[in-house]
Amino acid sequence: MTSRMRRLRWINWPGLLTMGLLAGAWEAAVRWSLLDYQYLPAPAAIAQGARTLLTSGELIPNVLHTLLVTLIGWSLASAIGIALGLLLGLSPTAYRYSMTSFEVTKAIPPITFVPATLLIFGFSLRMELVIVVYVGVWPVLINTIGGVRGVPVELLDVARMLRMSRYHRVRKLIVPAAIPEIIVGLRLTLSLCLVLAVVAEMVGNPAGLGHALVLAQQALQPEKMFAYVLSAGVLGITLNAVFRSAAAWMLPSPTSGRGGGSP
Amino acid sequence: MKANEQPVAEQASAEDRPQPQPRNTFECRNLSVELRSSGGLACICRSIDFEVREGEFVSIMGRSGSGKTTLLRILGGLLSPTPGSTVRYYSEQVDGPPRGVITVFQNYAASLLPWRTVEKNVALGLEGKVSKDEKAERVAEALAMVSLSKRAKDYPWRLSGGMQQRVQLARALAMRPSVLLLDEPFGALDAMTKTTLQDELLHVYEQTGATVVFVTHDVDEALYLSDRVLILQGDPSTIGESVAVQCSRPRDQIETKQSEGFLTLRRKVYEAIMQGHD
Amino acid sequence: MTAATAADPDRAHQPGGSDQAKSTKRTTSAPRLRGLLPLVVLLSVWELVGSPGSPFFPPPSTWGSALIGLWENGALLAAVLATLTTFCIGLGTATVVGAVLGLVVGGSPGADRAMSPTFEFARAMPPAAMVPIATLLLGYDETMKVTVVTLAAIWAILLNTRAGVRRIDQTLLDAARSLQLGTVERIRKVIVPALLPAVFLGVRVAAPIAVVITLLVEILTHVEGVGALIAQSQRTFQPARVYALILVAGALSLLVNGVLGMVESHVFRYLPGKADGSE
Repeated sequence: MTSRMRRLRWINWPGLLTMGLLAGAWEAAVRWSLLDYQYLPAPAAIAQGARTLLTSGELIPNVLHTLLVTLIGWSLASAIGIALGLLLGLSPTAYRYSMTSFEVTKAIPPITFVPATLLIFGFSLRMELVIVVYVGVWPVLINTIGGVRGVPVELLDVARMLRMSRYHRVRKLIVPAAIPEIIVGLRLTLSLCLVLAVVAEMVGNPAGLGHALVLAQQALQPEKMFAYVLSAGVLGITLNAVFRSAAAWMLPSPTSGRGGGSP
Repeated sequence: MKANEQPVAEQASAEDRPQPQPRNTFECRNLSVELRSSGGLACICRSIDFEVREGEFVSIMGRSGSGKTTLLRILGGLLSPTPGSTVRYYSEQVDGPPRGVITVFQNYAASLLPWRTVEKNVALGLEGKVSKDEKAERVAEALAMVSLSKRAKDYPWRLSGGMQQRVQLARALAMRPSVLLLDEPFGALDAMTKTTLQDELLHVYEQTGATVVFVTHDVDEALYLSDRVLILQGDPSTIGESVAVQCSRPRDQIETKQSEGFLTLRRKVYEAIMQGHD
Repeated sequence: MTAATAADPDRAHQPGGSDQAKSTKRTTSAPRLRGLLPLVVLLSVWELVGSPGSPFFPPPSTWGSALIGLWENGALLAAVLATLTTFCIGLGTATVVGAVLGLVVGGSPGADRAMSPTFEFARAMPPAAMVPIATLLLGYDETMKVTVVTLAAIWAILLNTRAGVRRIDQTLLDAARSLQLGTVERIRKVIVPALLPAVFLGVRVAAPIAVVITLLVEILTHVEGVGALIAQSQRTFQPARVYALILVAGALSLLVNGVLGMVESHVFRYLPGKADGSE
């Protein structure tokens, strides 16, 4: 009883009401042609479009393809980013002799590499993966370097005082201290990988949500397009939520998902 | 050093003071305050009656949470009491900050504008109200009164805490206030800075003749500065006692604080604050 | 593209910004030059090994001539100007609308509660995926470009402004009232200057997003701009042009960042440290 009451109070009624009103206004505006857009579907039509996509079996395979590419790309990007980040973070020499190169490369908007990969790999799954991994590496790399190099000096003094070996220092102090920041990088990368997968599918690899979106556009089916965009949004929210709770579950501390070490 | 006269301690509640008094600057009757808190409305103080006389230096004391700051915010017109309360500034009912009443806040860092220099901060309340020349003159005068003339062009965040509090005081003084409301102004400062600023405040008080209402949780500070100390007691709080401090002025950090009258009062105020809380 | 991730000042931690600040503080100029070594080696090897006729990896020297060609026929300048125009109008619109909305939801908890689900929902929609919808509704023109850029860039500004409004100390407002400042004066002399650093921080986070989304829209829709020129060079198999234009895009993003950095150090030089709102 009380828990139900609490849940009722916890639900953001004014927020939901606002959303409902906006959707209603949208619906009304389209019904009575108050908005002069030929291809603007009403919310009811979008819902209908989504239902059609679900029942006809068009949606699920596309979502699965995008999800699969996102996860594979994310795993590869994370592995590369963490490995490279640890190397650059732990070895001052490596850092000194390469960091500027990374900074210069990072300044180039990664989206511009989409046409280049398209040129090299053609309209293929490989092209999609390459661009997803390339873009995904950056946040993990940057945050790993930041986390490792941002380990508090006090902690390093402790290691010296305890006469820890270099191996132990890295394994027991530096890496654990860097983990919160690495996790933030992993979370940012996950969202990026999804977006880039959709972009790559729109221009390159003819599969997944992005390609379905373009097909719906060419077929002038705006309600399907909105349904696909919503699916991409929901997929993003879901991935983020799953990652957050997984991180919170694995690291039951204030560190989960939040930024940690300062410089 | 000039406190050769033995200070006389005397306790008198506001009502049974027979002698004729100057006008009341503030007059509060049946003053109650309720504040919205997490658990609904919380009654902070109930049916408080007191007055502050013109030219008087009054301190308000009490345990934390007893509503000292709330009371000051009401006098400053920054907060409204519950309906039915009477708060008068001279003959007018207070609604909104009355002209000539300036509040100085404890959190100097938050009350100064970091994007303005010291002198521009001091000029803030004068802009558009007085001529350019008068503004410059009053700013310079106020800064001189708190010995900050040399730092006029600096940004406040480059000054020490004590200096920043002086800037706030100067900003109030530039308005030529008839009343200064000070909310634990020296609470965040170190002991040395605190005593210096106390003496500076007394100097300003003597020079300007302003009425001062001073909130503090430091008994020595309240007694050293004030003519009268009001002590809030209970929950919701009321004025438990009103202690007159008849130590002679000018006062001295060492002599006054060691005099017998001071020590007796100190004990009395402590006991009044502790009452009902053990 | 990073709109959904780096825009939230309450949670994020902007990896790009903070790291740049860190590394500039730490490294001096000599190591910075030394750090270019891998890039120089890579490009040199590419130059030596690559053949000018390669359909995939033409050597860097050919990029230069491709760029000169584009400059001489005027395509490069037109594209850069078009991209900058979209970027500026988009970011400007996002700044105005985002700051106003942030002011409203930051100032009123009720409005915040009422609007936040809608905002969260809208923010979760990937801007890239909205491009086809925008073209269908608005057509292939400047309005469409600006709309998409604005929608992507608005969140960082809105959220930072909201955080800025919430951070204004009650004492500051009380002090202004106590000094007899009227409502207009309070807004002009206290509230607006107190919020500017927060809004600007939002703009700094939003600017790189706006650059990326501008290029993305151009790549996807081929509406005039650097992105469209890259896509066109790719479709006509002119790899040297593609690489050259990628560098142009990089230069553009550095330019935007540099200009904003200069504005920041100039306008906010009075502030302790710098305009820092994220912590």
